[in-house]
Amino acid sequence: MELPFVVVTILFCLGIYTIITQKNLIKIVLGFTIVESSLILIFVLVSYQPGGTAPILDKAYHLVVDPIPQALALTSIVIGGSVTAVMLALVIKIQKRYRTLNVDKLRKLKG
Amino acid sequence: MVKKLYKLGLVVSLGMFLFVLFSDIHNLDRTSKNYLSEHYISEGVQETGAINLVTSVLYDYRAFDTLGEATVLLTAATILAFLVPVTKADMLGTTFTIIVYQATKYLIPFIAVLGVYVIMFGHLSPGGGFVGGVVMALIPILLSLTYGIDFSEYKLTPNTKKVVEDIGAIGFILLGLLAVLTGNNFLANGQAGFPLGNAGELISAGLIPYLNVMIGIKVGAGLAIIFNSLMKEQ
Repeated sequence: MELPFVVVTILFCLGIYTIITQKNLIKIVLGFTIVESSLILIFVLVSYQPGGTAPILDKAYHLVVDPIPQALALTSIVIGGSVTAVMLALVIKIQKRYRTLNVDKLRKLKG
Repeated sequence: MVKKLYKLGLVVSLGMFLFVLFSDIHNLDRTSKNYLSEHYISEGVQETGAINLVTSVLYDYRAFDTLGEATVLLTAATILAFLVPVTKADMLGTTFTIIVYQATKYLIPFIAVLGVYVIMFGHLSPGGGFVGGVVMALIPILLSLTYGIDFSEYKLTPNTKKVVEDIGAIGFILLGLLAVLTGNNFLANGQAGFPLGNAGELISAGLIPYLNVMIGIKVGAGLAIIFNSLMKEQ
């Protein structure tokens, strides 16, 4: 019963661990996306009801799941995609300017 | 070594905190009445005319939220177009066999039909403007991947895509202002007296299909701009 929440917790912690330990900027962006997908899974788990159907009322239905978390999950997916794209563009700029992706070597200012 | 252990301990303590938090979410009182979603499920079809309740939440009850969401995508596309300024396009060095070119050529009409279907039936079936827009954005992406980015930008110039995206954004706001003209709130649909029609038909649900179309072309053009900007970097 508690297993899905354990999986979500492990995914979230994996993403945070990736962000604070990895040196490569691309891997840090990957960590952000892992955290984001774990939060989308939380939305799915909150709205889950045993035996419920999708909230489309076109035929006889018995039990319908809550539509609000699904709409919020859509919002989260769109904004996550946009933020990931902007992060990757910044990574491209950093690579062009400093010729490295290692965060330890990016400490010193240049120019 | 100590630093690594420190980070690991930090993450494990965060995990324990999150597990307690999520267990509390799990043990919430499910039997108590959930007035908001109960109202959406029981009254949503009569009030908005859309049988897909997620669409009715996205484009009627919380349409202002969707406008903000679309603005985030517009901002991301604009930032990418500014951040990655490229005057010379990068040709992909690969050439495929004729099978790939012909398969792409025959696939594109089907993708277009699927995207238009998903957008137009957003209030009747799973899908909607965002999903359909992503499907439509596959067309320029496929062109860029197989025929090279020069051909893709020759067929659909970046200025065209930018204009299409602006048409989507401005059209959404103008459709919302239609409700203001009738003396109601911004983006009101059923309350403003737009004809809702019979629930379950294609032309029904007042403003919702038109808002879907606007969001669809906006998301499609925005994603195409984002992909080409990221790929063009030399």
